[in-house]
Amino acid sequence: MTCSAPRLLLQHLTRNVQGLNATLSVAGYKSAVSLDKIYPASDLDVTKLQTPPKTDGLNFSGYVPMNKVQVTYSRSNGPGGQNVNKINTKVDLRLQVTTADWLSPELKERIAKKYKSSITADGFLVVRSDKTRSQQLNLADAMDKLRHMIHTAAYVPPPPSAEDEERARRR
Amino acid sequence: QDEVMTSSGTEKALSLLRRLPRVSIGNLGPNPGAHNEKRRGRGIYGGKTHGAGSGGSGQRQNFMRVGYETGNTPFYLRFSYQTYYKGHHLKLSYTPLCMGKLQMMIDTNRLRCDVPVDVTQLMATGLFSISPQQKEGGFMLENEGIDHFKATINIEVQWANEAVIASVERNGGFITTAYFDPLSLTAAIKPVEFFGRGIAIPRRMLPPQHLIDYYSDPKNRGYLADPAEVARERFLLAQKYGYELPDVNASPNKDILLERKDPRQIFFGLEPGWVVNLKDKVILKPTDPELKEHFAS
Repeated sequence: MTCSAPRLLLQHLTRNVQGLNATLSVAGYKSAVSLDKIYPASDLDVTKLQTPPKTDGLNFSGYVPMNKVQVTYSRSNGPGGQNVNKINTKVDLRLQVTTADWLSPELKERIAKKYKSSITADGFLVVRSDKTRSQQLNLADAMDKLRHMIHTAAYVPPPPSAEDEERARRR
Repeated sequence: QDEVMTSSGTEKALSLLRRLPRVSIGNLGPNPGAHNEKRRGRGIYGGKTHGAGSGGSGQRQNFMRVGYETGNTPFYLRFSYQTYYKGHHLKLSYTPLCMGKLQMMIDTNRLRCDVPVDVTQLMATGLFSISPQQKEGGFMLENEGIDHFKATINIEVQWANEAVIASVERNGGFITTAYFDPLSLTAAIKPVEFFGRGIAIPRRMLPPQHLIDYYSDPKNRGYLADPAEVARERFLLAQKYGYELPDVNASPNKDILLERKDPRQIFFGLEPGWVVNLKDKVILKPTDPELKEHFAS
């Protein structure tokens, strides 16, 4: 009986399939450049919880807990037609300075002193931004401004060195 | 008196004869003025005339070729290369996909977000065309509409900037940037056509030298970056952009959001080396150890 070419091919292919050895499930497919081979020391966990760095004394770590800060959106000013009239791109970031337990007492005192003009009667430090056309980017800008405020409040200039004092005395 | 008295002229002639090469066709030429070199100006070659061809040839439509500058090196031949396009043959271009459009596709059920979204899923919407042969690398996500983006999605694109990554992650989603070489991309964008060819799924190649840094950087959520470092970058980005990172462990779609391809994989759920027969609804897997070793390398 002569076999046609397609039938021969089909037989050849099915023959390979019939030898069903336990192949790796696709979830287990690992090539030679899979991540566990590139980073053998890592736990490869993208959901790993990160511990936020602590702020002690005047060393502000940069961490701002977002649940302790109030963010409100409003419409920006300036030209822009329908977009500026309807879209809430302006960001208003408020944090109560006295009750902020993530800041040390010394730091809170310095902020209250340095940024007295940005603190409302209720004790809220207010940061506003309508720099860009995007709410998200304005919030990033407001966060940046807030961090800058805290860092500058925390900054203590170094004491004058002996040479500086000598120069001051001479004048 | 035995000396033969030869004249200086003949002496000179004989010494020349001794010195000079043999006369041949190669060293013969006409006397100056023997041939009249004058030619009539014709057609596209400009001929041997000044200006716009020989008298009245423009009126007879015998124009010279476009760009010919009556003899001097024309502008289009003066510069053999320009520095502004250096490396153009290596650079890839990406199809821009705005976040607003992505949200619209999800809202209108054009794109499913209950499965991981990659190039194949995006091309299946039918709204885009990519030609890998024209050095197109895939999709890049753009900023337009990041404020309105609300979907929780596991998306894999070829390029994404920081604001886009922030907008995906603040909604509880995951974004990965992955490189597809031209052959893999051709397979990925038109899978049914590819399976119809009856060849084994190829291994996806690693990025070229100028792109490997981008895809190994956790800041770009590269597919070759360490996931532990990506976790840290997610936290830092949330702090930078002012949102709290949603806990993925509490999400009902946790498995879908955390599904990732191997760097050599083109399709979710399919390995390199497999032959997918859609007609008979069968997948053929290699059994030869050498083949298996190759496709797992």
